[in-house]
Amino acid sequence: MVESVLIAFGVMVGMMLLGLPIAVAMAAVGIVGGLLAYGMPFMSSISPVVWGVQNNPLLTSIPLFVLLGELLLRAGIADGMYRSLSAWLGRLPGGLLHSNIGTCALFSATSGSSVATAATVGTVALPSLNARNYPVGRSLGSLAAGGALGILIPPSVNLIVYGSLTNTSIGQLFVGGVVPGVLLTLLFMVYIAGSSLFGSAKMEKPPRIPLIERLRGSVELIPPLVVFVIVMGSIYSGLATATESAALGVVVALIFAALKKRLTWSVLRVCCVQTARVSGMILLIITAAFILNLTISLTGVAEAMSRWITALGLSPTGFLLALMLFYILLGMFMDVLSMQVATIPITYPMAVALGIDPVWFGIFVVVMCEVGLITPPVGMNLFVVQGIRPDKGSIADVMKGALPFAALMLFFTGVLIAFPAVVTWLPQQM
Amino acid sequence: MSARIETVLATAFGVIFIALSLLITVEVLMRKLFGISLEGSYELGGYALAVGSTLAFTLALLGRNHIRIDILHERMPAGVQALLNLVSVLMMAAFSALLGYLAFGVIRDTLDFHATAQTPWATPLIYPQSIWYAGQVIFMVASLVLVIKAIYWLLRGRIVHLNDYFQPKSVKQELNEELEDLAKRSTDAGDGSKEI
Repeated sequence: MVESVLIAFGVMVGMMLLGLPIAVAMAAVGIVGGLLAYGMPFMSSISPVVWGVQNNPLLTSIPLFVLLGELLLRAGIADGMYRSLSAWLGRLPGGLLHSNIGTCALFSATSGSSVATAATVGTVALPSLNARNYPVGRSLGSLAAGGALGILIPPSVNLIVYGSLTNTSIGQLFVGGVVPGVLLTLLFMVYIAGSSLFGSAKMEKPPRIPLIERLRGSVELIPPLVVFVIVMGSIYSGLATATESAALGVVVALIFAALKKRLTWSVLRVCCVQTARVSGMILLIITAAFILNLTISLTGVAEAMSRWITALGLSPTGFLLALMLFYILLGMFMDVLSMQVATIPITYPMAVALGIDPVWFGIFVVVMCEVGLITPPVGMNLFVVQGIRPDKGSIADVMKGALPFAALMLFFTGVLIAFPAVVTWLPQQM
Repeated sequence: MSARIETVLATAFGVIFIALSLLITVEVLMRKLFGISLEGSYELGGYALAVGSTLAFTLALLGRNHIRIDILHERMPAGVQALLNLVSVLMMAAFSALLGYLAFGVIRDTLDFHATAQTPWATPLIYPQSIWYAGQVIFMVASLVLVIKAIYWLLRGRIVHLNDYFQPKSVKQELNEELEDLAKRSTDAGDGSKEI
């Protein structure tokens, strides 16, 4: 049994690496597996699954959160945020690099697309970083790492995908992501401050900005903070479900866009097209994942994998360390979403069999995906940042600049393993 | 032609989800402020997703957004790339046809049993499901058109053309689209965006 699972997994990843569409590769493996086990009757059992997935009100949160992010981004809220954050953080050691991390973290928390976030923040940030002689690798690395933070800090589409595949409460996952997200952001900032204090690079500080002007500039921070508070507050207080909170966020974002006089037809059109494309891509993969999940549950793969892992006599920590290695390797070649949907149906039952908390495991998987975003050769954020730099240097600069952040993420994962309460404490207070 | 279809589908998609957001917001406010429970947006949210996702499948297909990993693909010779692109288009079409077939099965059962939703409204499921089915059919037709396009170009020997059109979308292309939109946004906004 375990052998055939590993073969099927290998075939699926092989099809994905050859460049076949991810959704199709998953569905193909699920359907072939189901047909081999049950013959034609299997086909009639998929029909209700397809309607069940696409009619699942929980998943309605995906297009809504994507729309929310698109509205905030295209209403020009990220640009404004960068400027007001640099006014506050610019004079810390490491200066504007903090604004890179801060803006990306705060902003990508509300946005589904790290490409769009990095493009926007990078275009605003890079000219002023270059003008002040910031080391190019460090600037680009901090942008790539900051963009990766967004998939952990809620609202995160990746956490919704994990929740829907494993039947874990999305509200709990979101709340569980807050403390790790904030801690990891702070860890990055401490690293930047430390390496700038003791480093040799001469970075010019931006001119001091009077307090009153800084306060006035902070108006730009209001929209993302309000959206974050409404979305997370309504979930945390139990006022709304994840889907309802997303809808509240969309309405607030529409109001802010209108206040900024950016709620035009052309902006709305781009928002709708982009939201539809991104959600269509995600939802087709999820539909395929549920077809695969049906085969997995009918054939008892999950139980077999759980028995296998318990029989190995691995401790939870040993299992997680092995999994870290597995995800680092996989993350070098696969993008975040594909990696998540391909592995979770198999790794999740194993984790649960070893007594690992489902919410904790979700955060763990997402942090490991973040590492994949900034590790060569395929880390997507590296290429995004490389694509926006004005000088035509080598991508090796970006990779070197992002490496310390990847190391910090791995260190942080170790902290999560040692102190699981970092994740589980806040959801338990709900 | 394709741009016009995109606009129509995207408008329908946008209207569905913006209207849903407004409805849910009203419902949450009523519940919180007046203790009145309308109960309906939960069910409607499900139907919105069912219909919206089929429209989104088609838009993602036309925008080449269904993820494909290009790490090995981009290193292959043009002939192999063309073959892989063709296989991808064919398999995507097969998957869309399967979804259409499965959706038809759902509809048939609903008609046979006069199925209604297990909700206070007891909506006859055929209403939302037939729109959903129509969406699946649009997705199926769109994927078939792409297959015909790919085979036509292959038969005419226009490999370069085929690869250009069906290549996995690279980060670079996605980024360029974003940068173009960004440039457009800042010209639209004039100097307003520069002020803090």
